[in-house]
Amino acid sequence: MSVLETVGIFVGIPLLIIAVIGGPAYVSGGRAQSKRYRPGRPFTFTPVWFLSAPERLHPDGARALTAGEQRPALAAGEPSQGAASQETARQGVATPLGATGGASDRW
Amino acid sequence: MTVGDQPRSLTTRPEVLDGPFTTRQLLRIDEALRLADSTTGLTFSVYVGDLDEPVRQHAEKLHAQLPDPSRSVLVAVSPNQRLLEIVTGAEARKRIPDRDAKLAALSMVAAFSGGDLAGGIVSGLDQLASHAGRS
Repeated sequence: MSVLETVGIFVGIPLLIIAVIGGPAYVSGGRAQSKRYRPGRPFTFTPVWFLSAPERLHPDGARALTAGEQRPALAAGEPSQGAASQETARQGVATPLGATGGASDRW
Repeated sequence: MTVGDQPRSLTTRPEVLDGPFTTRQLLRIDEALRLADSTTGLTFSVYVGDLDEPVRQHAEKLHAQLPDPSRSVLVAVSPNQRLLEIVTGAEARKRIPDRDAKLAALSMVAAFSGGDLAGGIVSGLDQLASHAGRS
């Protein structure tokens, strides 16, 4: 067996196997991990705001649009536009703060 | 949006898919929201994203942007800050007392701490709706 054959069998074939198995696993694994939320790890995503039927709530006005649209929620989530979003949020205040109830919790 | 932009927007991904949920989870949340709204007559809304400090005030401002705040319930979840806020309007508060909201919050937080955002939201909405009862 020549040196070339020896290198081909003991180095070339293992490298080929590593590439065939590791390559697809690396490509798909990296993508799947970014989608999953794990508590305590930083998690980047676009903020979302859901309503069941935004168009049915207020058929006439633009207020329904502002509530159903993602735009105010998106702006509120971005630290760079924090001041601007607070301004739009302040304009939208209809009920006095404190009249609302609910609960808070953390995990 | 201009006319020229419209064909392109059909092929690009909707922004909501860049959020924390898969398509299947989005469908489950949508179903839970529709069920909660139709059985109780209240308006349920879910916000998932970062909240500015002070967190409670920010959640109340978001709640006030809804079309009918007094009959609305907002569930605001911030996965990065690991915070949950449930805001009920004046009218909704009579149907869902703060104690019941706290109970729903506890079960949601239990799911979130296991990494299950969508499951926690769906079960929380279900619990809030069953506490509110039928309209």
